[in-house]
Amino acid sequence: MGTENPNRTNFSPRPMTSPFSAPQNASPFSSAGPVAGPESSAFRPNNPIASSQVPPSFSSGPPAFRSLQPGRSNDPAGPPPPSSYGQPQTGSFQRFSSPQFSPAQVPSPQTSFGEQTVVAPPVRPPAGPFSSPPVSFQLRPQPPIPVGSPPQSINTVQPGMNAASSIGSPFAAPGTNLQPSSPPMRATYSATQGTMQSAFTGYPSQQPNAVLQAPPVNSVAFPPQQGGYTPGPPAASRPYLSQQGSYMQSPPVAAPGGIYSRDRMQHPSSLPPTGPAQGLVEDFSSLHLGSVPGSLDAGIDSKALSRPLDGDLEPKSFAEMYPLNCSSRYLRLSTCGIPNSQSLASKWHLPLGAVVCPLAEAPEGEEVPIVNFVTTGIIRCKRCRTYVNPYVTFTDHGRKWRCNICSLLNDVPGEYYAQLDASGRRIDLDQRPELTKGSVEFIAPTEYMIRPPMPPLYFFLIDVSVCAVRSGMLEVVAQTIKSCLDSLPGFPRTQIGFITYDSTVHFYNMKSSLTQPQMMVVSDLDDIFVPLPDDLLVNLSESRTVVDAFLDSLPSMFQENVNVESAFGPALKAALMVMSQLGGKLLIFQNTLPSLGAGRLRLRGDDARVYGTDKEHTLRVPEDPFYKQMAADFSKFQIAVNVYAFSDKYTDIATLGTLAKYTGGQVYYYPNFVSSVHKDKLRHELARDLTRETAWEAVLRIRCGRGVRFTSYHGNFMLRSTDLMALPAVDCDKAYAMQLCLEETLLTTDTVYFQVALLYTSSSAERRIRVHTVAAPVVIDLGQMYRLADTGAVVSLLSRLAIEKSLCYKLEEARASVQLRIVKALREYRNLYAVQHRLGGRMIYPESLKLLPLYGLALCRSTPLRGGYADAQLDERCAAGYTMMALPAKKLLKLLYPNLIRLDEYLLKSSFADESENIWERLPLAAESLDSRGLYIYDDGFRFVIWFGRMLSPDIARSLLGEDFATDYSKVFLTERDNEMSRRLTRIIKKYRESDPSYYQLCHLVRQGEQPREGFFLLANLVEDQVGGTNGYTDWILQLQRQVQQNA
Amino acid sequence: MDLEPFLWLIFFLMNMGLIAFNLFQIVSLSDLEADYLNPYESSSRINSVVIPEYLLHGAFCILFLLTGQWFFFVVTLPIAYLNFRKFMKREHLIDVTEVFRVLSAEKKLRVVKLGFYFVLFILVMIRLVFSVINSTVDESEAIHFLGLF
Repeated sequence: MGTENPNRTNFSPRPMTSPFSAPQNASPFSSAGPVAGPESSAFRPNNPIASSQVPPSFSSGPPAFRSLQPGRSNDPAGPPPPSSYGQPQTGSFQRFSSPQFSPAQVPSPQTSFGEQTVVAPPVRPPAGPFSSPPVSFQLRPQPPIPVGSPPQSINTVQPGMNAASSIGSPFAAPGTNLQPSSPPMRATYSATQGTMQSAFTGYPSQQPNAVLQAPPVNSVAFPPQQGGYTPGPPAASRPYLSQQGSYMQSPPVAAPGGIYSRDRMQHPSSLPPTGPAQGLVEDFSSLHLGSVPGSLDAGIDSKALSRPLDGDLEPKSFAEMYPLNCSSRYLRLSTCGIPNSQSLASKWHLPLGAVVCPLAEAPEGEEVPIVNFVTTGIIRCKRCRTYVNPYVTFTDHGRKWRCNICSLLNDVPGEYYAQLDASGRRIDLDQRPELTKGSVEFIAPTEYMIRPPMPPLYFFLIDVSVCAVRSGMLEVVAQTIKSCLDSLPGFPRTQIGFITYDSTVHFYNMKSSLTQPQMMVVSDLDDIFVPLPDDLLVNLSESRTVVDAFLDSLPSMFQENVNVESAFGPALKAALMVMSQLGGKLLIFQNTLPSLGAGRLRLRGDDARVYGTDKEHTLRVPEDPFYKQMAADFSKFQIAVNVYAFSDKYTDIATLGTLAKYTGGQVYYYPNFVSSVHKDKLRHELARDLTRETAWEAVLRIRCGRGVRFTSYHGNFMLRSTDLMALPAVDCDKAYAMQLCLEETLLTTDTVYFQVALLYTSSSAERRIRVHTVAAPVVIDLGQMYRLADTGAVVSLLSRLAIEKSLCYKLEEARASVQLRIVKALREYRNLYAVQHRLGGRMIYPESLKLLPLYGLALCRSTPLRGGYADAQLDERCAAGYTMMALPAKKLLKLLYPNLIRLDEYLLKSSFADESENIWERLPLAAESLDSRGLYIYDDGFRFVIWFGRMLSPDIARSLLGEDFATDYSKVFLTERDNEMSRRLTRIIKKYRESDPSYYQLCHLVRQGEQPREGFFLLANLVEDQVGGTNGYTDWILQLQRQVQQNA
Repeated sequence: MDLEPFLWLIFFLMNMGLIAFNLFQIVSLSDLEADYLNPYESSSRINSVVIPEYLLHGAFCILFLLTGQWFFFVVTLPIAYLNFRKFMKREHLIDVTEVFRVLSAEKKLRVVKLGFYFVLFILVMIRLVFSVINSTVDESEAIHFLGLF
């Protein structure tokens, strides 16, 4: 590539490093063994660190490197060195790697290195002194020995080169030069950027896979070295040193193992890959490029605002950096750059943490591999109990492994032993998914069981009072359960049982020898007891006929019931008594407010005096401690509670929901349940609840490297110890969030590892451990933290915090806290650039968080937080709050910013060739997007609203709705009619539903101008519009901007 | 005057009792923190002594009032008020579901209380000693120390 000139300048630093490093490094390398160690070390560490500090000089360098790298990339894998030598240019790069193998051999590459030599010669002599002062150098094992030998030879050649490149000058000045380098370097840097990029782009084309990883590596390697050089200037060097320090540790730890090098190469190397590295280097210049910050002028063009019309975009670069990380389906960090100091962390005003969805559904072909350590037992670190993962390093010829989290050296059990090949990889690597995949599932031996694995158990607690019968709920539930009996997981061990209740509690004896279930009524509510010791809970396959008979007769049994009372509390206690032996899942179908016995509730939600006062929030927290106590007991006995509530009146979801909240359950709320309308929804959601793959009696723990600690957890679960979440049942629709903090003022490592472990019993009676591992770089500057931020995780954490806050404070305060955090974050970001740039009235935000303001706005307008007390029913608010506390990030984002899609054009089109594409085009959520001649569908993942424009051609309406098209849409239902258009619409809706099967989206039809339905279903949810007293998107942005500038 | 040593002995024992209750709670909380106890056990342990502690403190406080020990009464009043308020707001018991969220605050509160009781312990002890001395020596030789308390 054209890199030569720039490269050379860049290169110059390297030689220097080599000399320095050599003395110091020697120790780490030696331990590692000559084979691979050095290379890896050199590569990996640098990226993150170097990029930020060293930027200027490096920047110029990197491009050249990258181009070169192609050849290089291979190195990590193994033997590449020789080949690399052959190539002159690449030689320089390779030479780092190659040297490792055999320092002595270096000679050939030297010519190419010549450039570097310029620097090197001067450096070398001083090297001795230098090395000693800068601690950092020593730390870096990377460039060390291998490089050392080659550099000398190089030096001689290069001098001329340096002169040629103006940039080089700073460097050229031997040791001293290095220090001052910073200012000059910048200049060079910016100049070089152009080249860098070009190199970049070209690069991928040349070598797709290998290249990608490699390039980052090279660039990375450089920066660290330079950093090392700089020792002199205190200010500049500072950050470096700290980082370097971190390097040191890691290298020593990992370096010893040949594998280490391998890992580095593959993952870490990818780390700061080109994208980040460039960004870092560019930092300010990037502004000019316009890639990083966006800008807004006062008179904003609303079209210029960013919107998530492509759905949730996860930061791809991060996954590329660490290909061994688990997928973002399972774990997302709110920023992938972990701050290296508490002071830096305190400047990150957004939540710092992770969102974990341990059982997320994996697409076909990406299932989590199952590993069975039958003979060896599960390999874990002795000290921190970390599970073996791709980031551990093997040393001592494969006899020991080093824990990546606590860096303890563990023995490799004899059965697990495998030799290391020349590059330090285990030779059996490809047969070891636990060493190559970020997510694995171990089959746990008996040490992980307190009792034999429990069978899947479903227990139903069904309200049979008059409302339940009248609304048709009872019938739908009975039918649905019956239809799901065949697909309940865990056949043939599945257990099942029922209790019904109104003013008394009814038990059912389902003994397999009976033909009809026997009903037993207990009316002593104060001292509830279980009338039968067993047979209330039976094995489904043995008692199938009895269960069928029961479900068939259930609706008719209570047909004539006129009882309006609900002895919910006693029934709950009875269920606990029945289930306490085994645990399992308890499904509660509740139609009225509990009115009898323990746990009866008041109609407090109907007390209008409380609304709007300081006490309003008490309505959102459970009233009776009975429910919390019950929830704690359920959790203790491994019972998960799912609450289905149906009432048209106040049912105190806030209180009932606690049962689900602390037991890892879920709240389903069907206000105003009418079976003719909601039947399908209830049927789908209940069926999914019963049949989806469920993990039983689970505990979840997330471990992380030293210096970092998880402090708070948010979601539906109960903590069993400070960091152990008890989850009686988990499934793919549940996510948990946690916040972390730095324990030490300064992190000394360059990478922080997180490991989520979920220990559970599968429906097939196996005890399993699902392990997800993630590595994240430690960063030293705020800009990089922002650059690596993940909006989805940030919003997920923000919303959980805000919802929790709304339980103790007013809604306004909860919303204000969201806004304040966003403002603070943007202000901090602005301050980063305010010095070098005249920002004027522009709004500056990192590219990665460009959607944060919008989601913040949407969050403030979401059901749990919106408006005042009158803007959402209390029960609905609480139910939505419970739901959002458990939603995975992706679904949450969709709920906050739903899809709005225009359908009429598609329906009218004669051919449906491009069916798959066109119907996914999302529109901004604003009234302007709605054309009165159109037909739109609004999909938030929980319901569909189909909006008919006023001027929509009657033909369309007629063919979709039949002759009802002109009547009141609240009474019209969408059914498939016998024409192409209707079929097509049905097909689309089906497709949407299939794409998001967690909930069933009921269709609500709305015609333009039909109030209040239109307002309620759609207009209030168009988050970009100004509705009532709330902000529209542009106002919101302006308001944020004003606040950001106020104290800037 | 002869009753005084007895009175102070009672105060002394009550104070010991309060210290014991608090220590017990703190130990339970630390065990929970260190994962030696599960939250169920820990909170049921603590909750079982909360009411006795409040009652004892109430009695302590009222006894000071009745015996005219104004200084001690005033000193113990704030905690009595705090207890009373917590009780009325039904916040006096540890909530097992949220125990980890309030752990550090609860612990801090109890440590502060414990410190307070220790200081009180010293004062009561001094009074006890003096009252014993005074009752055994002549009235004329009695040590009058009125100081603050």
